[in-house]
Amino acid sequence: MTTVEVKNLRKSYNDFLALDGVSLTAESGQLVTLLGPSGCGKSTTLRCLAGFHEPNGGDILVDGESILNVPSNRRKFGVVFQNYALFPHMTVAENIGYGLRLQKCSKSEIETRVFDVMKLVRLTGLEDRLPREISGGQQQRVALARALVLKPRLLLLDEPLANLDARLRDEVRWLIRDLQQQSGITAFYVTHDQSEAMAMSDMVAVMKAGRVAQFATPREIYQKPTERYVADFTGEANFLTANSVKPIGEGRYAVHVAGADIEVDGVPGLPDSAAAELLLRPESLSLVTTGEAATFEGEVIKCAFLGASLHCEIALPEGGRLKLTAPPNHAVSVGDRVGVAIDLSHVWLMPEVAP
Amino acid sequence: MSMAAKTFGGQRHVNLGFAVLIIALYVFLLVPVVTIVGASLTNGLMIEFPPQGLSLRWYQEFFARQDLVDGLLMSLRIGAITAVVTSAIAMMAALAGQALSGKLSGVFQLGMTLPLLVPELLTAVGLLFFLYKIELGKTVAGLQFGHILMSFPYAYVSISAALRQVPSSLEEASASLGATGWQTFRLVILPLVMPGLAMGAIFAFINSFDLYTISLLLKPLGGNTLPLALFDFLTYEFKPTAAAAATISIILSIAGVGLVQKLVGLQRAF
Repeated sequence: MTTVEVKNLRKSYNDFLALDGVSLTAESGQLVTLLGPSGCGKSTTLRCLAGFHEPNGGDILVDGESILNVPSNRRKFGVVFQNYALFPHMTVAENIGYGLRLQKCSKSEIETRVFDVMKLVRLTGLEDRLPREISGGQQQRVALARALVLKPRLLLLDEPLANLDARLRDEVRWLIRDLQQQSGITAFYVTHDQSEAMAMSDMVAVMKAGRVAQFATPREIYQKPTERYVADFTGEANFLTANSVKPIGEGRYAVHVAGADIEVDGVPGLPDSAAAELLLRPESLSLVTTGEAATFEGEVIKCAFLGASLHCEIALPEGGRLKLTAPPNHAVSVGDRVGVAIDLSHVWLMPEVAP
Repeated sequence: MSMAAKTFGGQRHVNLGFAVLIIALYVFLLVPVVTIVGASLTNGLMIEFPPQGLSLRWYQEFFARQDLVDGLLMSLRIGAITAVVTSAIAMMAALAGQALSGKLSGVFQLGMTLPLLVPELLTAVGLLFFLYKIELGKTVAGLQFGHILMSFPYAYVSISAALRQVPSSLEEASASLGATGWQTFRLVILPLVMPGLAMGAIFAFINSFDLYTISLLLKPLGGNTLPLALFDFLTYEFKPTAAAAATISIILSIAGVGLVQKLVGLQRAF
């Protein structure tokens, strides 16, 4: 099994700094996702791993050994490309058997192994088709099979679902995760889709301008982001400015926010009495009926019925807005003054964004 | 309704104009071919169109003339070697051109097509001096060298265009599956650029078959290519034998294109 350590990786093209010190690790059998908008360096990191780019600095250790001097054809990593990169002049079976053919495996061995892996990715019966004669989802599975048949040390996936429609994306996503877990293969997965990243990964690296903004489990990057950028990128989020922050324990603070005094968890080490930013995910907020204790009060300015829920936006008198979801039959309409209760175990205090 | 009808009518009008243009273009392209083929079939003694009666006598006459047949064989041999050597070198040059990036690539491209940009006569004169210096003046090898040089840009343009159609991710995929550079070339790139490569070889052959100026300056002692032999012939005799020779050239070209079509499919070559 394979562990990977990416250490302070740097890469620049002409005067564009693509990677500005990227560090990550993957434990054996983990699926690590590189998440971020285009241009953040996630694909460049993957391409350095694959050996298609040579980094200008830093190191990549696989099982403790640097691979920077190993050319890509000797790294034994499986790569799945966004556009699949199937060989158009070869049949499905020839594409999948390509690597085995290069290893000079016997015809019967190639046949057996290709057949087995095709069964695994549910492609049986398509052996003699050309890539252009099968659907996008099938092409993606051929690409996956072609990489997996060689039992690679590491699987690298570059936005493998980007060109598929929503329904297929879900199907192939679970197929990839199942195969990765069954075979126990260590994998890196590049995507800009946060729900994909959350659902599939053991660890997520949220990337920003050539750096890793946060490297943690999906739960942590969602619930305990280190900065606003991460919180914004991982899902729907409300932010309120918190004043007179008072540390009252390790990672615990008393704050004054929008007229209320509350105690919350947050990023450890925030300075005393500075301003900070409070993250409130929509699902940690609820509307309260008159008489119950409310943390904030405000006016409903938007209300949309989405079937399974109501989507409301509340303007607070102290400034700031809160988006929240309410049960679909909750009696509320635009212009109402309402109370908002917060689940204090699900709010999170982060450093204020530098202006 | 009336709007739709108008648009429809307008479109028909455009299509009619377009059709006339296409027909005119075809006439322009085909008239010389039809004339020369027709003239070669004449039973008369002059190159004329329409032919006076039909016969194959001028083909017989052509094959009876040792100087013309020798010229044809020489042209075929030089053309065949040119096609093979040029497409091999052009393939390598196209790979090199692709590996270069940015400004350098543009300079390289221009350099590779230079023989097209410099007047043939000047290239021929320069080459003549050079060949004498390396003691290949007035030899078949020297002439062969000149033909390869003059045909190279055609093969290069055709092959590098085909190579650009191969996405770089295929090379990366091949490498990630364990292939060496040579294996990637042989198993992935070569099969995919084959139509362009074959087309490049055909272009090189046809171009070599047609070259006149450079052949005139570089021709070996006592050896003539078909265009040179034909010109010599026409200087003294204005007989339909020349038309028969031209028709044979046309048939050879069509046979070449037909061969590419059969082997790799012509539509894939463009």
